[in-house]
Amino acid sequence: MLRWVLAAGLVFGVGSARAGGVLTIAQAQDPNNWDPIATFLVPWGAVASNVFDGLVLRDEQLVLKPGLAESWEVLDGGMRLRFRLRRGVLFHNGEVFDAEAVRFTMARLLGPEGAKGPQQSNYTSIGSVDVVDPYTVDIVLKRPDPVMVSKLAGYGAMMVPPKYVAEKGGVEFGQKPVGTGPFRVVGYENKVSLTLEPAAGHWDGKPKVDRVVYRFIVEPNTQVAELQAGRVDVASNVPIALIPAITASAALQVVSTTGPSVTVLRFNTAQGPTRDARVRRAMVMAVDRDAIVKQILQGHAKAVTGFQSALSFGFDPGRAAVPFDPAGAKRLLAEAKVAPGTAVSLDFRSNDTTFREVAQAVAGYLGAVGLKVQVRPFEMNVFTNDIIPNGKTGEMFQMGWGGWTFDYDNTAYLMYHSGERWNPYDKDPGLDAMLEGQRLIVDRGEREAALRKVAGFVADHALELPLYNVDTYYGVNRRVKGLVVPPDNRLRLIGASVD
Amino acid sequence: MAEVGRFLLRRLGLSVFVVLVVTLLVAWAIRLSGDPAMMLAEGAGSVTEQDLRNIRAALGLDRPFWAQYGGFVGGMLTGDMGRSFMGGLPVARMVGQALPLTVMLAFLSLGVSLLVSVPLGVTAAVRRGGWVDQVIRVVSLVGLSFPNFWLAIMLVLVFSIALGWLPPSGTEGGVGLVMPVATMAVILSATNVRLVRSAMLEVLGAQYVTVARSKGLRETVVLYKHALRNCAIPLITFIGLQFGGLIGGVVVVERVFNWPGMGSLAFDAVASRDYPVLQAVVTVLAGMIVAVNLLVDVVYGLVDPRVRGQ
Repeated sequence: MLRWVLAAGLVFGVGSARAGGVLTIAQAQDPNNWDPIATFLVPWGAVASNVFDGLVLRDEQLVLKPGLAESWEVLDGGMRLRFRLRRGVLFHNGEVFDAEAVRFTMARLLGPEGAKGPQQSNYTSIGSVDVVDPYTVDIVLKRPDPVMVSKLAGYGAMMVPPKYVAEKGGVEFGQKPVGTGPFRVVGYENKVSLTLEPAAGHWDGKPKVDRVVYRFIVEPNTQVAELQAGRVDVASNVPIALIPAITASAALQVVSTTGPSVTVLRFNTAQGPTRDARVRRAMVMAVDRDAIVKQILQGHAKAVTGFQSALSFGFDPGRAAVPFDPAGAKRLLAEAKVAPGTAVSLDFRSNDTTFREVAQAVAGYLGAVGLKVQVRPFEMNVFTNDIIPNGKTGEMFQMGWGGWTFDYDNTAYLMYHSGERWNPYDKDPGLDAMLEGQRLIVDRGEREAALRKVAGFVADHALELPLYNVDTYYGVNRRVKGLVVPPDNRLRLIGASVD
Repeated sequence: MAEVGRFLLRRLGLSVFVVLVVTLLVAWAIRLSGDPAMMLAEGAGSVTEQDLRNIRAALGLDRPFWAQYGGFVGGMLTGDMGRSFMGGLPVARMVGQALPLTVMLAFLSLGVSLLVSVPLGVTAAVRRGGWVDQVIRVVSLVGLSFPNFWLAIMLVLVFSIALGWLPPSGTEGGVGLVMPVATMAVILSATNVRLVRSAMLEVLGAQYVTVARSKGLRETVVLYKHALRNCAIPLITFIGLQFGGLIGGVVVVERVFNWPGMGSLAFDAVASRDYPVLQAVVTVLAGMIVAVNLLVDVVYGLVDPRVRGQ
C-alpha cells in the first residue's frame, strides 16, 4: 500500500515538477536578428542570454563565473588568455562545442562579417585565437585589455555553431538561432513573439518552465495593460509614472535592483557661462538630487556623485556628495560675476517622459539661485547623432550611460577623452593621460585607484552635474516564482517557474 | 469608351507620378537627420568613426544619394525592396506580413463605420431638429473630438482591465480586432454621420423625393433607394479623401494595440532610421491611397449614370 502511495506521490511529484508552466515576458523591442554579431541592443541580450553561452558568464550579481570555459588563466603578462573548455557540450542542433567552435566564433566576429555589425570594435585588441587542443584555446592580445574577460561574457562573443552558421548564412541564422544555452528557440514570428523551450542536458541544469514566450510590445502602456490583464507575467518596460498602477494590484508587484544606467547633466565647458568651473560647481550645489529621486523617481533610483553606479569597477563609495546648498551656489555665482537672470539652456531627449519632469525640477532649482533655464527637448536620434557629437548643445545636456562592461573605463574614456564622439567640449591633456594610462594597468587594485582618480578629477572640475542611477525594475505577476532580476536586464530564466 | 480609357490612362500616369514624388520626398527627408549606423551601434561603448564607416559601407550608405535612391526605385520595380538595416530581413517579407493586417484593419473600420453612420445620418436628417437629431449630432461631435490614442487607451481600461472581456493587444483570433476596429470606426463614424446627414438634408428637399412620396412608396424605400443613392457621390468622394487620414490613424492605433501592421513597421523604421523599410512602407501606403482615389473616380461612373454618359 505504502509503495503505491509513494509511487503515486512520485508520479504526481514528477507531474508537478514538469508543470513549470508558460512564462510570458513583454519585451519592448524585437532586434529582428538573433545573430550575436548583428546588433548591440539590450533587448537582444535580455533574450539571447538564455539561448547562447559565452566562455565566461556573469551571475545575477554580475560576478564573472565559468561558462563554456571551465577555467581560464592569464599568461604572458596579460597578453594571452588560456581557456579550458567544458566537455560534452552540444549546440541545440547537435553540433559539438569545442575549441574549433571558439576559433570560428571569434574569427567571424573579427572578420568581414563582424565588420558589418556594431560588435567588432569591442574586440579589436585580440590578435589571434589559437587552438591548443580540442578543449584548450588561447586568445592572444595585440595590446593589453584588462576588460577583455568581461567582454567575453557579453554580446558579440557568444558561441555559435560553425557548421550550422556556414550552412545557413548570417541572416538565416539570425532568424533561427542555435546556441548552447539553457533554452532553445522553437518559434519566432518577427515583431510578434519568440518562443523558447528548455534545451536537453544543459550543463547548468534544467529550466523549470515548460516554455518561455517573449511578446514584443513597444508601447509601455500596452505592456502594463497586458500585465494587468494577466496575459503577460513580466513587463520589462514600465515607465515610472505607471508603477502605482502595478503596485495597486494585489496580483502584481514591482521587482527592482540597482541598475547600470546613470543619468547626468553634462556641461558645455567650451562656451557660455558654464565655461567657468565656479558656475558649474554652483549649479551642482543648487540641485537637490535626493528630492528628485524621492519625488519624481518615486525612490526607484539612487542619487550619484559621478557618472557611475555602485556596480561599476572604479566606483568610489568614499566619495562624498556635493551638498545641496543654494545659498553657497548664489555666492559662487556672484563671485563668478553671473548676473541674476542669466539664461542657460538644458537639452534632453524628447521621448524620455521621466526626464522631462526631472528637467523641469532642475530648472526650478537653478531658477531659485537666479539662473533662467530654458528647457529644450530634442528628438532622440537628432540629439545623439547631431546635437551632442557636433557640440550644438546649450549649457547643459542630458546624458544617460550604462557601461555594459561595468567598468568605469567604458564611460570615462568615451565621455572625457578629447576627440571622442561623446565629448564635444573638453580638451585636457592631463585627463587624457590619466584615461590612457589606466588602460595599460593590469593590476586590478592599481587600476581601480587610477579610475577613482579620474572620477575625482571630473568631480573637482565639475565637468558634469551628477543626478541619479535609476533602478532596473520589472512589473511581475506574483504567480511567477524564482525570478531573479539582474542589474543588466539579462533575465536568467533557468530558475524561474509559473504557478 | 475610348474616352474613358484615355481618362483612366491619364489618371494612372498621374498616380505613378505622385507615388514617385512621394518616394523621393521620403528618401530625401529621412536622410536629413540621424545616422542608422549609430542606431545600430547604440549601446556599443567604444564605437569609433572607423566602425561607423564600416557599418555604413555594409549598408550601402557610402554611395551618393542618387545611387541609393535609384537602387531603391529600381528594386521596387522588380519587387526587390532590399533588406532592413535592423537585422537584414528582406523588406518585401516584412511588408508582406504587415500589409494584410493593416488592410484588414482599415477596411473593416471603414465598413463598420458605414454600417453605423449611414442609418444614423439618415435618421438624423429625417428627424431634423428633433431630439434624436440633437443626440446624434452631439454624440458625433464628442466622437469627433476624441484623440484616437486616448480613446484606444480608454477602451483597453474598460474592456480589458475592468471587465476582462477583450485582450489589450495582439492579433490572436478575431477578438484582437475588436478594439482597434472600434477605435478607428468611432472616429470615422463621427465625421461620416455628419456628412450623411447634411447630404440627405439637401436631397430630401428635392422634387424627386416629393414625387416618390406622392407615388405612395414606403418611407424606407424613399429614403434608402431614392434619396440615399443621390448622397453616394459626396459620400464616396469623402471616403476617398478620408482614406489618407485613416492610414495616418492606423499608425497610432496599431502601436497602442501592438498590431504588427504597416503603421508599427513605419513607426519602428522612423525611430531606428531604417531607410529601406520606411521607404517601402511609405511607397506602398502612398500607392494604396492613390489607388483608392483612382477607384473612387471609377466608382463615380458606376453609381452615377450621368458621369458614365459623359
